[in-house]
Amino acid sequence: MALPRGNHYAVLGVDPDASADQIERAYRHLMELYSEDALATYTLLSPEEVRQACAQVRQAYGMLRDPVRRLEYDARHGFITRPGMALDDSESSSESPPDTPGPAGADASTEGQKAAKEGPAVLPEPVTGAALRRFREERGISLREVSDVSKVGLRYLEYIENDRHAALPAPVYIRGFVQEYSRVVGLDPRRTAEAYLAQVATSSSDA
Amino acid sequence: MTQATRRQIWSLGGGKGGIGKSLLAAALGYELGRMGKRVILVDADLGGANLHTCLGLSPPEKTLGDVILRRVDRIEDVVIETRFPGLRLISGASDFLGAANIKHLQKVRVLSRIRSLDVDIVILDLGAGTAFNIIDFFLISDVGMLMVVPEPTSVESGYRFLKAALYRRLRAAAPTEAIRNIVEAAGDPKNGHGIRSPLDLLASVSVEDPRALEPLKREMAHFHPHFVVNQVRSDEDAKVGNFLVTACARHMGIRATYAGHVRQDDTVWQSLRQRRLFAVDAPQCPAAEDVRRLARSLVGGENLRLGWGS
Repeated sequence: MALPRGNHYAVLGVDPDASADQIERAYRHLMELYSEDALATYTLLSPEEVRQACAQVRQAYGMLRDPVRRLEYDARHGFITRPGMALDDSESSSESPPDTPGPAGADASTEGQKAAKEGPAVLPEPVTGAALRRFREERGISLREVSDVSKVGLRYLEYIENDRHAALPAPVYIRGFVQEYSRVVGLDPRRTAEAYLAQVATSSSDA
Repeated sequence: MTQATRRQIWSLGGGKGGIGKSLLAAALGYELGRMGKRVILVDADLGGANLHTCLGLSPPEKTLGDVILRRVDRIEDVVIETRFPGLRLISGASDFLGAANIKHLQKVRVLSRIRSLDVDIVILDLGAGTAFNIIDFFLISDVGMLMVVPEPTSVESGYRFLKAALYRRLRAAAPTEAIRNIVEAAGDPKNGHGIRSPLDLLASVSVEDPRALEPLKREMAHFHPHFVVNQVRSDEDAKVGNFLVTACARHMGIRATYAGHVRQDDTVWQSLRQRRLFAVDAPQCPAAEDVRRLARSLVGGENLRLGWGS
């Protein structure tokens, strides 16, 4: 049985200008497609083919979920047209996800085009944990998902959103955590982390 | 939508029998009739016709078999009125004619007669299996629906049906004898070419004769089945259609659509036991709601596809 061929985007079945959110959804859809005893693949693929298909998807996702590696990959393969494209997630909450085509087959790929036209969002200062949470919740992303994707522990993400600065580690770690958080929810990582750290510094000098 | 005058043929196949095809065809015809469409249901399951029973009718005297055997002059002579607005039936009930026994010329003639029917939508209820006589009805339709239920056996039959239909179409498009032989071999699961999917077939063709690739790819691009998932018991079941679409694209190169699902509903068989149609008996039951949604989305989707205004 044939496996999808081509670049990482083709393997995930998304357009090269797919938002981070679309890539995430495509990955989850495919992991479910290839899960054990999944009806759609059970009689179609051998266990070995399922294993290969999964490995292929994981490899593609591993590259594309990391904004920095994705930018490098895009540059190497001629996908890049504009810096910051890979980080965009701004409109994705209003779209239908790729794993639920509408009745009579709304074409997901054409809908996917419009998402990636603007850079990542920047929050007005001061950037508090509450502001981050509000932004995240507006996009329907759970903190658990942020943790799963960013690999930052749920506990630390909660400390960040609750502004429990004393519980957080040194600023260099906070910067990394907030950057990862920002990438997942669609904020500008560098500017958000700087603004959040500034806020941390302010609040600790107040105390 | 009212200016939709082009007659359309929809077909409902499934590979596996006993999954509710005829009931859905009947209910779909009923809902389309209620939407103001002029509909003729055609029971193309000549060996096991029972669409008349789904509509609460006795086995009709005149059937599609009479058209095939030229016992009547015109196909209109076997069209039966139902008691539902806009909905008529051509029965397939026939003790003397199994689907397997139609000759090629008879089939070509009956297909062209079906095409000539003066209605908005013809719905072909196909028999089970992947015989050419079933597949050819599927291939002439504007909307080819493939019904599956969320069970491995049904999904397996569904894939088999799709492959058989696509290979049949590709065979007709094969530009040379050598390519036709490869396409025919692909239909045999134990073929010596290692071909297990249409994508494998294309790979073999590109080795044998790269020039033949374009016409075959063009045919594949025009092959556009619509999945309908019946007897859905959970949200998980309803999502099966999405995964079927993805699996078709990734592993077979088939661009399918998920037309919709119909929930498992005891009302359906309770009505059938009284030889009544659930959509009529209990229009608010989940299955009737789903069929209505399916009808609307198929009509809407076709209007978009054909560029009809509304």
